[in-house]
Amino acid sequence: MTADHHDDIAADLAAYALGSLSAAERARVDAHLATCTDCADQIARYREIVGALPLALVPAMPPRAGWDRVRAALHARADAPSRPLSVPADADESHAPRRATARTGGQRVVRWARIARWPAIAAVLVALGMWNVVLERRLASSPAPPEVEALSRRPGRLVILQGAERPNASARIFVAVDGHHGHMAISGLNPLPRARTYQLWFVPKNAPAESGATFGVDARGRAWVTITVARSLDDVRAIFVTEEPAPGSRRPAGKPLLAADAWR
Amino acid sequence: MGAGAEAEEPVDRELLRRMQRGEEAALEALYARYAGLVYTLALRVVGDGELAREVLQDTFLRSWDGADSYDAARGRVAWWLMGIARNGAVDLLRSRPHQARLREQGRLSQALAAADASASPAVAIATSAITNALATLSPAQRAAIELAYYGGLTQTEIARELNEPVGTIKSRTRDAMERLRKALGPRDR
Repeated sequence: MTADHHDDIAADLAAYALGSLSAAERARVDAHLATCTDCADQIARYREIVGALPLALVPAMPPRAGWDRVRAALHARADAPSRPLSVPADADESHAPRRATARTGGQRVVRWARIARWPAIAAVLVALGMWNVVLERRLASSPAPPEVEALSRRPGRLVILQGAERPNASARIFVAVDGHHGHMAISGLNPLPRARTYQLWFVPKNAPAESGATFGVDARGRAWVTITVARSLDDVRAIFVTEEPAPGSRRPAGKPLLAADAWR
Repeated sequence: MGAGAEAEEPVDRELLRRMQRGEEAALEALYARYAGLVYTLALRVVGDGELAREVLQDTFLRSWDGADSYDAARGRVAWWLMGIARNGAVDLLRSRPHQARLREQGRLSQALAAADASASPAVAIATSAITNALATLSPAQRAAIELAYYGGLTQTEIARELNEPVGTIKSRTRDAMERLRKALGPRDR
């Protein structure tokens, strides 16, 4: 194993843990992990982080009859329930089913257990057991079927805004596939005083501009903003960001600081 | 807090052992513990309630079938379950004409949103830990994480989406994970 090869693999470990490598790239990392404890340790650390990511999501109520459906499906199956399936152990999609026995190595078991003692991770893991209990209690006490807000999801549309007045600024809008929600990542804008705010606008083809979000940026000129898209981007002729009096304007008063040329 | 965290894993592993012996009650207990988180993750990825329900059901059926393939050396039962859910959701996303399944839905209020204020301290602390860690990321780093994990995109696909070199995306993803690791891990001495 050359140092270059090891560095190449190391560059892929984060993506591997996130499940963001192609099959060929995954196989390459798998082969390396079998012989490199340093990289295996790193993967273990990343897996703990990846596993905890969903806790940052806004909780959604599972369906009331969810368990009944699982049980019904289990009983309706013709296959023997003990037939093992090749299931991925985690997001990195390693498919080799293995028996969960002590033969997997006490040292490897200790590796992630040691990481689990990190204070913040420990807090996360304790909460896991309580998280669902809290939801189940809410479900049981809710008088009406739970309703779930559409969350941002795999981007359906991507819009890139460049700095019309701010050449070093840029933004990327990820519009969810339902067309009504999304997020915007901004960089390069100057922080504003309290009395001012940045505002995102969508200008329909035959209607006045509509606000998508108001936001500020941090000391480094960055922001990650949840946005509202009132209508389909196919009906929008312009998208831009202006500076407005806080808490925002009904119509854009400032000059476009960032603007989109085109979107798909 | 650490002692409490370690107390959770033996419970989950015992449930898996009982599932291996065919005890349906153990699967029901695992469902009770993690259905909410699995459903939340599934919904985040597929963006449709009906598809998320499919992923929820499929996840627990797969956990039943694959209980004896769980490898304790690779991580906690909870993460193993989340991995099944996430991968199932991404597979579903890739295999179906997603846009055709979406129905016109108005914005619905989230019943739990108001209730979050009274969530247990442990839940609030844990959510705060992850949320604060994510807040240390730049917008570009956060986008890289979200596109990879929730979007189910490979690094090459993300690079194509953002019109950036693959090397840049990989570096950004790695830097983001390192930031999260530092935010969540013990302080470097």
